[in-house]
This record gives sequence, structure tokens and C-alpha cells, in this order.
Amino acid sequence: MKVLAAGILSLLLVLHWKHGAGSPLPITPDNATCTTRHPCPSNLMTQIRNQLLQLNSSASALFIAYTAQGEPFPSNVDKLCGPNVTDFPTFHADGTEKDKLVDLYRIIAYLGASLGNITRDQKALNPKDQNLHSKLSSTADTMRGLLSNVLCRLCNKYHVSHVDVSYGPDTSGKDVFQKKKLGCQLLGKYKQVIAELVQAF
Amino acid sequence: RCFPVLVHSPSLNLCLLFRVRRLLFLSEPRPLTPESLEVSINSTCQCLHLQWSIHSLPHHQELQMIFQIQISRITTSSVVWVGNYSTTVKENQILQWSWESELPLECATHFVRIRSVMDDARFPKPRSWSKWSSWEEVDAQDSLGHNALFVFPKDKLVEEGSSVTFCYVSRSNLNNVSCYLDGEQIHGEQLTPNVSTFHLSHVRYKRTTGTNIYCEMKQGRKLAGTVLYVSRTEVLEEPKNFSCETQDLKTLKCTWDPGSDTALTIQPSSNYTLFESFSQKKKVCEDRNWCSWQVTQDSQEMYNFTLMTENYLRKRSVNLVFKLTHRAVRPMTPLNFILENINSRNATVTWKVRPIGNSTFQCQVELHHDGQVIQTKQQNNVFIKVNGKYLLSEMEPDTHYLARVRCAYGNHFWKWSEWIDQKFTTLEADAGDLFSIWSKVCFEMIIGIFDIFFQPLSKSHANGEILFYNIAVESLDKSSKFNLSIPAPHNDTKLTLNKYSYQIHVTANNSMGTSPASVIVIPGEPGHKEIEEERVKGTENRFSLSWEPQSRDAIGYVVEWCDHPQDPLCGLQWQKLGPNTTSTVISSDAFEQGVRYNFRIYEISPGWIASLLEKKTGYSQELPPSDNPQVTTSSLTSHSFTLNWKDYSTESQPGFIRGYNVYLKSKMEQCTSGFERITPSDDSAGCRHKIDNPEQKTFHVENLEPASSYEFFVTAYTSAGDGPNGTFTKVTTPDEYTRMLTHIVVPVILCILLITVLFYFQIQWMKEKCYPDIPDPYKSSVLSLIKSKENTHLTIMNLKDCIPDAIEVVNKPEGSRTQPLGTGKPLTETELTKPATYLYLLPTQENPSGSGPCICFENFTYNQAASDLGSSGHVPVPPSTPPSQLGLLYSPENLLKALEKYYTNSLGEIPAGETHLNYVSQLASPMPGDKDSLPTDPPVQAQCSEYKMQMAVPLGPASSPPSEDTSLSS
Repeated sequence: MKVLAAGILSLLLVLHWKHGAGSPLPITPDNATCTTRHPCPSNLMTQIRNQLLQLNSSASALFIAYTAQGEPFPSNVDKLCGPNVTDFPTFHADGTEKDKLVDLYRIIAYLGASLGNITRDQKALNPKDQNLHSKLSSTADTMRGLLSNVLCRLCNKYHVSHVDVSYGPDTSGKDVFQKKKLGCQLLGKYKQVIAELVQAF
Repeated sequence: RCFPVLVHSPSLNLCLLFRVRRLLFLSEPRPLTPESLEVSINSTCQCLHLQWSIHSLPHHQELQMIFQIQISRITTSSVVWVGNYSTTVKENQILQWSWESELPLECATHFVRIRSVMDDARFPKPRSWSKWSSWEEVDAQDSLGHNALFVFPKDKLVEEGSSVTFCYVSRSNLNNVSCYLDGEQIHGEQLTPNVSTFHLSHVRYKRTTGTNIYCEMKQGRKLAGTVLYVSRTEVLEEPKNFSCETQDLKTLKCTWDPGSDTALTIQPSSNYTLFESFSQKKKVCEDRNWCSWQVTQDSQEMYNFTLMTENYLRKRSVNLVFKLTHRAVRPMTPLNFILENINSRNATVTWKVRPIGNSTFQCQVELHHDGQVIQTKQQNNVFIKVNGKYLLSEMEPDTHYLARVRCAYGNHFWKWSEWIDQKFTTLEADAGDLFSIWSKVCFEMIIGIFDIFFQPLSKSHANGEILFYNIAVESLDKSSKFNLSIPAPHNDTKLTLNKYSYQIHVTANNSMGTSPASVIVIPGEPGHKEIEEERVKGTENRFSLSWEPQSRDAIGYVVEWCDHPQDPLCGLQWQKLGPNTTSTVISSDAFEQGVRYNFRIYEISPGWIASLLEKKTGYSQELPPSDNPQVTTSSLTSHSFTLNWKDYSTESQPGFIRGYNVYLKSKMEQCTSGFERITPSDDSAGCRHKIDNPEQKTFHVENLEPASSYEFFVTAYTSAGDGPNGTFTKVTTPDEYTRMLTHIVVPVILCILLITVLFYFQIQWMKEKCYPDIPDPYKSSVLSLIKSKENTHLTIMNLKDCIPDAIEVVNKPEGSRTQPLGTGKPLTETELTKPATYLYLLPTQENPSGSGPCICFENFTYNQAASDLGSSGHVPVPPSTPPSQLGLLYSPENLLKALEKYYTNSLGEIPAGETHLNYVSQLASPMPGDKDSLPTDPPVQAQCSEYKMQMAVPLGPASSPPSEDTSLSS
């Protein structure tokens, strides 16, 4: 599983790596050629909405499962797991569909990479909690599907083939408590932002 | 010793120069202060890492030096540790030393300084310390960052039961910080204005994911923490079953059991290292449970391995010493295992062994059949170099086998290699290999129908699958002959033959040929020799039988029995034996305990005629009887009774009935003669009488007590014991007197009845003879004359019309109360018309004491009214008493008074002429002793006779009302 998680993380990094990654870059011009690896389904927006709904419905359970790793996490959620992630991508709910899809893409890419870090850390720190691991894996799978669908939509309708994204901090060098805390903060932010995304779409 | 002196000669000058140089060398050098001291922090181990160097070592030599290190915390004056470090120092060598701090180094500033002293024997003592180096300050807090709160140490791993110190570093006011251990607040000591420490003693294991320790700042909602991992002491187990072996003398494979892996998630996996002391080689193993080791080519024979493992907290090691060729060579599994030349009985196995140098191998060959090793003779050890070969023999045709082989190092046996095996099947045998077949003819002649049974050949004799049987039937006079074929699965057939002698040939056929024929002759008239059956005793599933030969020219014997004698088909079995055999052991898995098996031993004559020789019967194991006799009682007397169980079958029991036990229980303490008390401690068991004869099915129980209750129970017994427990039957012996009465009284009663009947029929005669009828005055002819009178109730006794037997005038002379009645005077008619009054002197209820053997006959001829009165109340009324007075006399008081007067006065004062007239029968006679029976009325008693007194009472004075001085008179 560690290999799989590392592979996912590497894939995301390879897919989205570009010189200057970490700071938003201009999207692809409209007239650029856009190709996707897989054929895109016809009901993309419906699928995107359903995937957002699915993520939103499972976000709270994932957050609860994560905080069940001893005090102070269950009883100090506001202090430890507050959604004060500094470099989290912004979302403009009042923008056009294209803008919202681009924001969504950046957010999901950020969350997917962070989820990969959390999954890697938890498999090392909490290897027997299969409930948490399965929820993390399920969420990561849905995010990958959502990311693919958003990219399809951007590519097919708006001819956007590339979106610059940013990622959260790498937790590999941090101490255990810090890893737990950063993971909790990220999941708290995820729970908050996914509800907003559902409302926006 | 050389001392400095003044010399003037050149030789002396040289000496002085030498001494000066020597003095200069041996004198104490100046102390060497450590220089270039650098101190760094290793947060993982909470260690201060020091490094320094010594410059200007004298004469560029190596010196043994002692370094004294001093460590202070917070301020230089707060020395927390001082220690020495001794080492050999070279010039310009950078020396290193580490110190592990109990307190996390991030919690406070540390200061370190160092000094040295020569510790070399070449320099004389005393030696002086060098100057201290300058204090080196180490402050980890400078690199913490900009967070408001920190907790140290990070990710601490300790063993359970140890102690650990934590601290937090705050950037603001300390009073607002609270710290918690897994949710419970802990209290510490303030170290500096912004640092507090927490000392945790004897920490306990909680979970593999660690225990969170965190501190929170009330203001600003800041929270920081760390994770404490507590490891159990048994986390790192000592490797078990450590051993090394080689299959080719080139590579050793060492294996061990690492035990369970219970390391914490933060704990790095323990690694294993193999160290060989003779060669001083070391290898870090990649796996947790095995490691390979290259055998050196320099003929190293002895190996001393140490397997070491360690993790963050502990180290473990095990040792193994062995000689390579003696205790480590285990050959590889043999290869090229092939079965060749397989026929019906033999096969050849070949195999190869990978050579190890020039050594030989010891190999073991096994032959298996039905999952078991067959015949120890075929477990063979073969010594080979490379190629092995072995002949497997004495196998059965058409049989599945498994052959396998393994080898061991031949020079010094240590361990067998793994087995290599192969399955194979032997071929069917040729026809010539067939063994003889025996066919048994069971000749129960019923209108010429014979059952012929074939005993199927055993697999070892069939040499393949038997397809069918050929039967050739030939009459001995050669007049008829025919053949028939029976398919193999069948093992019997029926033949309808005439009552002649026949010779029957039976052969078995498989795909390869025909077996030799078995022959039996059926005689035309089977003998009917009566042979007594003999009992034999079996053991488990076998019977040992022996017999006496009858004729010397017998060509063999056959023992016949049924495996299932209770079944209709019975599973007929037989065993053919040679002519010189007089005993055999019949064994069968079908033999069951409690089943009687009958064996018949036949003698086979030279003409193939079987004649019955002996009969045997027995049980493989006898059981107690399955049921008890149904017992009836008879001949019950007051002292005995008889028990019968004639219907009890001894043949159908699961054992030979040896006899019967009669149990008798009674209330008597002693057993009846012939019985013995079986268990004195248990009264309920009663007494027992043992009958040793199984044919005795009746028993007479004697010497019993009359009118006593007995309980009996009869059970049969075999050599295995009594039959099942049953209920006792109760018998009660009759009373002796009752019997006597029955014998005496009944006849007497019968006699009486007979006499009574006789008397009844002769009653008229008796009556006439003994007590003829008393003439009834009412039926007298005199009455017909009186009927015409006006008073029909008046009865008249006319003496003229009657011829009395006698008339007696009773006149008791004795006593004052009885007066002589005077002479009799005939009653006048007028007197007689008045109602006659008489005293009823018979005892009444009011006067029971007056009862006596007095029989009175009223003669109503004289006074019907008196009769009526007497019948209504037996109250005597004076003749002249008016009705009113008469009524008064009905009361008992009046009656007594009247009686008093009457008896006390009147009787003695009866006027002349008023004589009592008593009619006395001629047969009547006074009863003796009557006077005494009525002591209160002796006069009356004296007048009592067998006839009731009949009185004609004169009406004159007696009719006057009674007064005080007058009484009733008669």
C-alpha cells in the first residue's frame, strides 16, 4: 500500500509538475489543442455533481475516523483541526462555469496530493486502522475520478488542457504529532470546502 | 639518576649534554589545553556531540590523556554533569564524545567546557590539569521557528517502566499553558521563565500508535504536542532454532525463528547480523529469518556464528558452533527418480544425488501401499556416490504402490534430505502365476438342488481382476456332463441335480488365463452321522480349533462357518487346510462378541468327498444373558413355593448359559437354607441360590415362614455374568392356621349344612317327636259356641269342653310375699265376662334384670283383652280399673306402684276363692334356678313356667280402685 500511495503521489506530481509549481499559472489558451487520455462521458457535469455529493456525504465520516486516534484530537478539533490552511486554493463561487471548474480542479488537485500524504503517514503511524485507511482510499479514488471529469469538461467544452496547481506542505520530515495535526487540519478544510463546492455546482 | 653538575673535559661535556637532554624529556610537559571545541545537538537521541583536538603534542607521539568535561545548563554556573573521558591522542586528531541528556536539549541552553591531563606512564606524577577551555554555549531554541508553543522531545521512544522528561517552550506568558498526557492534565516545574519540565516515571504501554502529550495555551488557541512511544520489553525476542546447513559445501544457509514482530509503528524494524568469529566476517541479513553465508574455500571446518539483532532499545544474540562436514551437510533432494522394469512383482527404482566433493551418500528407499510402509524389509539403506538403484520385489500383481527415496551425507550422517516419491502400479500376473482356487460346495440336498459357493480369490492370489468362473459338473458314472460360466462378481450358483454323485470342477479366469481347477464331489446320499457339538472359546476375533483325524488317507480338511449366523444369507465362509493339519485358527473381522458361531470341520477323502468330522460352537466373547427367564410360581404353601421357567431359551443368548441365580429377599435376617447372602452390606440384595445346571428350569424354595412376604428374582448367567437387572416378584406364604381351618372348618360346615338339610326334610318328624304343636284354643271347637254371644272378645274357657292335661293351682307356700292361693274354685260366668287381668311378668326393657330363661306362651283363649293389652304395652291393668286409672298405669311410675302393691300386698292377701289358675302343660317343668334369676320378684319368678302364666282374675275385690292399703289382687 505504501508503494501504491507513493505511486499515486508521484503520478499526481508528474501530471501537474511544471516549472514554478506552487504558484498559479495562466490556464491554457482557448485555441490550444486539447486531448484527454480517456474518452470523456457525455454527462460530465452530472457526474461531477454526483462525485461532489459523494465526497461531501463521506467527508464528515472521514474526519471523525481521522480524529479517533487519541486525545487531544477528538476533543480539540477546533484548535488542532481548524480549517486554517494557509495556501489552500481559492474558490470563486460567483464566477463562470469555466472559472469554477478551474478552481475546482486546483482544489481537488491540492486535496488529492494532501490526501496522498495523509494516507502515507497514517499507514505508517496507524497501520491497523483499516476503517480510516479504507475511507482515505475511497476518498482519494473519488477525487481522482472527479479530477479526470473536471479536466474532461475543461478540455471538451472550454478547451483547457492544462491548469497550474499548487500543493500543500510535505509532511514527510515532520514529527508524528505535526503529521497528525496537519492531516487533521487538511481534512477539516476538506470537509468545509467540499460543502461549498456542492453548493456551487 | 642524573643530576646537573659542572664538568670540564670533552667526555664530561658529552655526558652532561646527554643528561640535560634526558632531563628535558622526562620532565613534566606543559599541560595541553583542548582546542577547537565544537558542540552540536542531535535531537533524535537528545545528545550533545562534542569534538575537539589537541595541538602541539610533544614529539609527535601518541599520548594517553584524560579529558574532563563539564556541562552546565541555563547558566555556566549550573553544572549538571562532570565526567572524564580517557583516550589515546595523536597530534591533530579530532576527538569526539557524546553526552545524552535526560532533559530535552531544546528545553534549555547548555554550556560545555573541557580540560585535559596527561595519563601516560612515561611522564612522572603528579600531573596537572590543563586550563579549561572556554564555555561553549548550545541553544537549540534559536532554531525552533516562530511558533508560539513547542513540546519536546519529539517522537520519544522509551521502554515500558522507564522515566522520561518533557518540556514545553513558550514564547509568551507561562501561566496560560496547560499540558496533558493522553487527555489528563500533568503538572511540571518551571525551569526558566518560558520553559517548564514534566518528569514522567514508570511510563506504561498504551497503544502501538503512541501516546499524545500536548500543551495548550489558553490565549490564542495555540496547541502543540508530541508523541511518546512506550515499547514493551518483549518487543525484541531472542532468535530461536538458529541452525546452519549446506547442501553443497559452498553455501551455508542459516535459519532462525525471529518470533513475533510487535514493534511499534515508530520503531524501525530490527535487523539481523551474522558474525563468524574464526574468520571475523560479518554479514547484515536482508531477511528476518534466514541468511546465506559463503563457505570459504580455505577448508575452514569449524564455524562459530553469532546471530545478532537489535532495535532502538535492545540487542539480542545467539551463538552456534559446528563443524561443517559433521553437523551441517544436508544433501539436496534426490533427482531423476525413475521406476523401471515394472512387472507383476518387481520394479527397479533409480535416482541421482548431486555430488558433494568425493563423498558418498546414504539413501533410504521406502515402498508404500495404502498409505503405509509395507514390509520393513523394503526400507533399505543404500550407499551410493551419485547414481542410486534398487530393486523393489515381492510386490503383488495389479497393485498400486508408492516408492520414495531420500539421502543423507554418507561420511557423517546429520540430516536426511527431503523425500522424492513416485506412484506406480504393478502389472497383472500371467496365467501360470495363478494360485490354486478352492471352491466350496454346500450340499443341502432338497430335491436335488445344490448351492455352490465360490470363495473369491484374494487380491494377492487373483493376480488381476477375476472375470468369471467356469463350473464343470460331471456325474461320477460319466453318464452326464455339462459346463456353465458365472460372472465374477457372483460367488454362488444353484444347480439342480439328480440324486447321484457328481464331481464339480471350478476354475477362475482373469484376462491373462485360467487358474487350476478346484474339485469337489457331491455324494448322492449325504451322511447323517450324529456328531456331538463341542464348545470352543474364542478370543476377540479368532477361534482356535483342533480336531481328531478320522482316516489316514484324508487329502485335506475344510472348516466351515458363517460370519453372520443370524442373517439368512449367513455369509458362508470356509478354510481349506492340508492333510496333515489338525488345528487352525479362524479369524475374521466379522466376528462379534455375543454371537454364537458354529464351525463344521469336514474331512476331504481321496475321492474329493467331504464328510462331516466335528462340530464346534462358541463365542468370540461371551456376554451376559440378554434377557431373564419368565418365572411362574406354583405349589405355594406356608413353607414353600416352586419357581418355573420352562420356556426360557438358552440357545439364543449371547453366551453359554451356565446356570441360574435365584435371588430371594425377605424380612428375615438369615437366608433360607440353600441360599447365601451375597452382599452383607446391602440388605436389599437379599439371598442367592446358584443353580449350576442350565437345564434345570425349576426350583423349589423351601423352609419359608408362614404368612411371610418374599420377593424372588431369577436370572440366568454366563461366564460374563448375570442377565439384566429385573424386578422382584412378590410372594406371600399363607397362614398355617388358616390352612388348618380351611381343612377342618369347611368340612364341619358342610356336615352341619348336610345335617340341617336332613333335619329340614325331617322337621315334621322332629316336630312331632320333640315338640308337638300346642293346641290353639282359638281354634278350639268351643269357640264356635261362644261366637254367638254378644261380646266377641270375650273368651271363655269352658272346662267342660276342654280336657286339660292337668290343672295345677299354684300356691307358693314359702316367703311372706307368697301366700297360698287356697283351693281352686271354678270361675263363674260373670266373673269370666269381666275382662281378665294378668300380670305380665316377663322382663321388659324397664326391667332387664328380670330376664330369665322363662318361655311364656300366652293363651288368649282365656282373655283376649289381656292379650291385647299385653301386646300394646304389656302393662297389666287391674280388672276393675276404670279407663282413667288404666291410663295412669301406662306410665312406668304407676306401673311400679301398682306392682309393689300387687306383689307386696295382694298376692299374699288374695281372698279366698280368688285363686290363680295356671295352665301347665304336661311337658312343662320348672327351670332350676329361676328363683335366683329374678331376685327382685322371686314370687313371680317362682310362678314362671314354660307357659306364660294364664290367669283368670276374679272381678270382685280386685276390681276396686287401688288404694294405699289395697293392691291388685288376682
